[in-house]
Amino acid sequence: MKILIVEDEPSLNKAMVDYLHHQQYLCESVNNFHDALEKTESYEYDCIVLDIMLPGGNGLELLRQLKANKKTEGVIIISARNELDDKLNGLQLGADDYLTKPFHLPELSARIAAIIRRKNLQGSTIIKFEEIEVDVLAKIVTIQGKEITLTRKEYDMLLYFLVNRNRVLSKDAIASHLWGADADLAENLDFIYTHVKNLRKKLLQYGAGDYIHSVYGMGYKFSLK
Amino acid sequence: MKLFSKYNRINIAVSIIVFLVGCAAFYFVLRVVLIRQLDDALHTEQTEIIAYVQSHNRLPEVVNAYNQQITFTSIEKPLRGSIYISEKIRDREKDEIEWSRKLIFGITVAGINYQATVTKSQVETEDLLQMVIMVGAGMIALILLAGYVINRMVIKKLWKPFYTTVHEVEQFQLAKQQALQLPVTGTNEFDLLNKCLTTMTSRAQQEYQVVKEFSANAAHEMQTPLAVIRSHTEALMQDEQLLQQHNASIKTIDQSVNRLTRLNQDLLLLARIENGQFPLQEKIELDKIIQQKSEELAELLSSLKITCQIQTVPVRISGNQHLTEVIVNNLLKNAIRYNVEGGKIIINLTPQKLIISNTSSLPALEAGKISQRFYRHPETKADGNGLGLSIVKQVCQVTGYTLQYDYQHGMHIFSILL
Repeated sequence: MKILIVEDEPSLNKAMVDYLHHQQYLCESVNNFHDALEKTESYEYDCIVLDIMLPGGNGLELLRQLKANKKTEGVIIISARNELDDKLNGLQLGADDYLTKPFHLPELSARIAAIIRRKNLQGSTIIKFEEIEVDVLAKIVTIQGKEITLTRKEYDMLLYFLVNRNRVLSKDAIASHLWGADADLAENLDFIYTHVKNLRKKLLQYGAGDYIHSVYGMGYKFSLK
Repeated sequence: MKLFSKYNRINIAVSIIVFLVGCAAFYFVLRVVLIRQLDDALHTEQTEIIAYVQSHNRLPEVVNAYNQQITFTSIEKPLRGSIYISEKIRDREKDEIEWSRKLIFGITVAGINYQATVTKSQVETEDLLQMVIMVGAGMIALILLAGYVINRMVIKKLWKPFYTTVHEVEQFQLAKQQALQLPVTGTNEFDLLNKCLTTMTSRAQQEYQVVKEFSANAAHEMQTPLAVIRSHTEALMQDEQLLQQHNASIKTIDQSVNRLTRLNQDLLLLARIENGQFPLQEKIELDKIIQQKSEELAELLSSLKITCQIQTVPVRISGNQHLTEVIVNNLLKNAIRYNVEGGKIIINLTPQKLIISNTSSLPALEAGKISQRFYRHPETKADGNGLGLSIVKQVCQVTGYTLQYDYQHGMHIFSILL
């Protein structure tokens, strides 16, 4: 999977590249409008992560040109401008998603994964991890072929873990993903703990390995060991 | 009181005084002039009589006319000089008291001293003066009438451009980037007013634009560094050896970034509401918002064993969807955040009012302080940045709702008057 990151802030750009690289994505990055235009004209990507305010031009303009050139890349806009207009304009111009800075890297990774899944509908819609299989189209989870019933939050959490496997996910990142604007409340009440506990119990019950690990009170990690 | 009525009142009062003074002055001046004229006539008579006496050496025959009587009375001592006097006399024919003017002088004929009296009626003079007073009174009445008529008919027309301007200014909204359109009136004062208003509003719009851009820029400037810190903290987390050694530090950084992020988002939202950057004419189904929000929070409520009673009727209001959600969200989240385990939340929605009340370990709050920015009750342990109710209040301000707080029977009651 090839991803183009268009972000002018070098340290943020690097952090995104590093994180996504670990998620087995092939990342290329540029830091201005013209390089971005050149790259998108010459190569094909699965997903483009696009900042709006760029040296040399506006990210929305780039998006307009992509759509004019009938490019099929998924586009996710990342912007510091929380302006509703920008969000609506972006989505109207054909962006697939919109993230406001500062976002959590696992959230970006989850959104990218979702976009790529949507774009490759003819491809596999199954996410696999050892004996766990998730059919994201039918929203069905099976363990060793047996279907397992999860609540919506548990399902979302499992998917989030699978997309960000082997990464330490902070409680706030998980809470923001599951509860959005109510994350502060959920986090404060240590609500995530209850949900993680329930999900873990269910997975173990159906014979899956113990993959959810608590990491130094910081957050959780979904991995083999 | 209308400007013209005020002006008119002063104008009429002054006019009446001026006319009264004018009439009085006119009366006296005219009186003096007329009496002098009468005196001249009397003097002419005197001269004639003296001339007659000198040439004929006897008194002239007296022919009394209607308006002139001459009498001669013999006296012992000769009378020197002449005296003019006004006197009331009874007119025998009409049986009326009338003013008359007399000239008394001495004359000596053949060694006999006489006192000659020439009397002329002053009635015509008095008549004239009466006319002057009547004309004066008539003029005052006319001025009053004219003032009234002008007020009624002309002023409305004259001030029309002013009311057009006022109406336009009332309709003017800074957030809409539309210039104020004011017509040319042809009246200097109104044209000046319109010109100044147009200049002022366009300058305000420009400055509003600057402020709006500033809030967007502030977001950009703050959020990018926040994104950098957050992404790098998350990168650090992945190094488990490092995390083991420095987990308290990394955790603190992570939590602080989260707090700062929420604070920044809230402050930006406040700025955007203040700048009026939300359209307020959307149709909103308030009961649906409450229903949806309470469903979203149901899980949290049940985990805290908080019972939530909801009573709603369908309520349609016009406002901003997002901002209305913010109100409901902030009030409900507060009701949960400051609640106690096993507590209670009551939501009551009527077409006039949204009331959200909750139990809490906190005592009654100071109503004046609750919506102050960053105010938090000193005993509160729950997190939160003290901006939730400020945002609610700010939304209320732009949408015309009212936020009220009350404390009854251990329940904190927050009401929004729609």
